[in-house]
Amino acid sequence: MSLLLQSLVLGVLLGGLYALLAAGLTLYFGVMRVVMIAHSAFLILAAYLAWFFTRTTGLDPMISLLLTVPLFFGIGVVMQRLLISRLRPATLTMMSVLLTFSIALTIEGLLGFAFTGTQRRIRLPYGGANFEILGANVAVVKLIAFLLAAVSLGALFLLLKKTQFGQALRATIQHPEAARLVGINTDRVAGYGFGLGLATAAIGGTALALDSTIYPSLHWHWIGPLMAIIVVGGLGSIPGAAIAAMVLGLGQSLLQIPLGTTWAQTFFYIALFATLMLRPQGFFGGRLAQRF
Amino acid sequence: MASDSAAPSEYLLELDDIEAGYGRAALVLRGLTVKVPPATVVCLVGPNGAGKSTVLKVASGMLTPRSGTIRVAGHDVTRNNPQQMLAAGLSHVLQGHSVFKEMTVSENVMLGAYSVKDKAEVAGRVDFVKTLFPVVADRWSALAGALSGGQQKQVEFARSLMVSPRVVLLDEPSMGLDPKATATVFEQVVRMRDAGTAVLLVEQNARRALETADLGCVLDLGRVHISGPAQDLLADPQLAELYLGGRPAATTASRSSKDTTHV
Repeated sequence: MSLLLQSLVLGVLLGGLYALLAAGLTLYFGVMRVVMIAHSAFLILAAYLAWFFTRTTGLDPMISLLLTVPLFFGIGVVMQRLLISRLRPATLTMMSVLLTFSIALTIEGLLGFAFTGTQRRIRLPYGGANFEILGANVAVVKLIAFLLAAVSLGALFLLLKKTQFGQALRATIQHPEAARLVGINTDRVAGYGFGLGLATAAIGGTALALDSTIYPSLHWHWIGPLMAIIVVGGLGSIPGAAIAAMVLGLGQSLLQIPLGTTWAQTFFYIALFATLMLRPQGFFGGRLAQRF
Repeated sequence: MASDSAAPSEYLLELDDIEAGYGRAALVLRGLTVKVPPATVVCLVGPNGAGKSTVLKVASGMLTPRSGTIRVAGHDVTRNNPQQMLAAGLSHVLQGHSVFKEMTVSENVMLGAYSVKDKAEVAGRVDFVKTLFPVVADRWSALAGALSGGQQKQVEFARSLMVSPRVVLLDEPSMGLDPKATATVFEQVVRMRDAGTAVLLVEQNARRALETADLGCVLDLGRVHISGPAQDLLADPQLAELYLGGRPAATTASRSSKDTTHV
């Protein structure tokens, strides 16, 4: 019973982190129909920057967010304006896979060049700290990562719902032509939307680095599960991605009890195939898909 | 923005000798001239492929003409982009449904005032469109996608009026609507005109549109074929035979755009 409870609590914490990691990925697709294979590579880049920041300054890795969030936002805007916007609309989605695949390889190569392929891990004073909740043992770093994800997704929700930029972004997602005709500069909004997606990668990567060993090719391990989450959630739907992340995170955590870590990972792919066969628009697509 | 040489004009919108097309394909508009006076409904009718919707795309800056001139109240706005056309006073309501379906009616209407910074002006326009379109007031908090087709169209009208446009460009507003909703939409077009807004209307339902409009232009092969008061066009037996439900006649070839007086 305590093992089940432990898995449930870990599943919720893991699901929250997955939700943050997948939020940007679904945002790119929602705004521009771009499949951003390099999203997980940017996550790992942010993780490396957090590790490097802590190793160099001795400060907490979360302080690195003050640098990496604006940096990634800027990279996202530039990437969209200089690269993505040059792709022909008719083949945008397909070509974006190739383009961002090459960006992922470039980031992996640069990380290997700069930091070698050696595995790295941030050493935190509270890295081994645990506490007990309802009989389940929870690592402090996992809770911090979860809280970081919850705060970031809450901020993203408020930004999209309550600000004029958020309304413009949602309008651009729902009907780009009509958005242009009410005076929205949809190219600029798309650039900022892409930047916003990459800014979530900065936060997600830092949260990931708190509790993970990192190496340059780690992004290949992540892109599959993250893609599965946004397909199950309904491409373009941030709430859908959050719900799917929670469901799949919990499922993975619970399946680790009977199947072990490696086989539990297949849950993502089974969910992906089942979604594509039964409900290709995603389980939380349709009405939810364009709401944010 | 194009040069701002303002010349006094009795027309709010003038499209003069416009040639336009998509990409490298052949021209769709071939020397088209249309003029819209204040507080008037001008209707463009014609067969499929005549270039009716393209006229509106050119007027709203979605498609840049290859040659010709566009003037709004005498100001040259020929090469303006959609944002600049909106600022100049041209508001475009697209064909089909173009509400932001997963936003509320209020969010849709407020997005119409996206480029308006004066909050008092926005509040005034909200009151104005709520009065003009009661359904907008009644369903203010509803999700726009949950409204009927006719109601969505009225939300689009309301959204287009939030910038106090000089001319509203309406592209096939009755498309996909049942007869009752179509009647309501045409009533709203008249109300917009009566409220002081000029309307350039493109419509497949030619007879119904000409009954609503003050002036009419019949487009064929990218230019104005015949133009004049809408009632005169409706009464023209040859036109009725050709474009309002009759069958084509061989005599039409003699009626070229160059012989007709443009509206």
